[in-house]
Amino acid sequence: MTIIVITLLAGTAAGILSGLLGVGGGLILIPIMIFLLGMSQHAAQGISLLVIIPTAMAGIWQLHKAKLVNYNLALYLACGSIIGALISASFVQYIPAERLKLIFGIFVIIMGIRTILGTTKPK
Amino acid sequence: MNNKFKIIGFGFIAGILSGLLGVGGGIILVPLMVTYLGITQHIAHGTSLAVIVPTALAGSLVYGFNGNVNLIPALNLAVGSIVGASLGARWMKKIPAKQLKQLFGVFLVLVGIRMIIS
Repeated sequence: MTIIVITLLAGTAAGILSGLLGVGGGLILIPIMIFLLGMSQHAAQGISLLVIIPTAMAGIWQLHKAKLVNYNLALYLACGSIIGALISASFVQYIPAERLKLIFGIFVIIMGIRTILGTTKPK
Repeated sequence: MNNKFKIIGFGFIAGILSGLLGVGGGIILVPLMVTYLGITQHIAHGTSLAVIVPTALAGSLVYGFNGNVNLIPALNLAVGSIVGASLGARWMKKIPAKQLKQLFGVFLVLVGIRMIIS
């Protein structure tokens, strides 16, 4: 019973974040699955990808009506991202994940600071 | 034309991150679109979601072939996340661009710190 409640709440939290911020929600789902539901890192990542699909679709359903989805741009981005995902998901065991995570982490922090600073600059 | 290669390259980076960490790739897609392609914050979020669907599909197929996808917990989580995403997206439409940007920026910094620490 507790697990069902945790799962539902975790899903809802990830979904709100997804719709609000245009992300998949995996960054919230994975630690919850590992720490609260006791799953392995690999199993959590596989489940996360699967949950992300209907979640993002629900978000698109809302944003499509408001014309906030640029499908032309999405098509080109998806061309690259599908290839990238196929490669990294296939070779995830052989990729130096820790180092890449560090590089991505630093990049994300820099982009975050830039995003925050960008809002205070007068145009 | 050059721009198209740049866009595909951005997608590729997001895809690598997605398959590697089991996430959607939106944390990379949104800032790249806003910073380098001049897309507004709101449209970047919506477009990001549209890229995430096929990306996560490709990644989960590979994870599935390797036996790392468990349907039951995925379905349970999806029940909540579909409801959550609808709420989040409705909420997002009402937030002004500036606040949405700040919110996203704070989220990026927190996520980045977590990625480095863990």
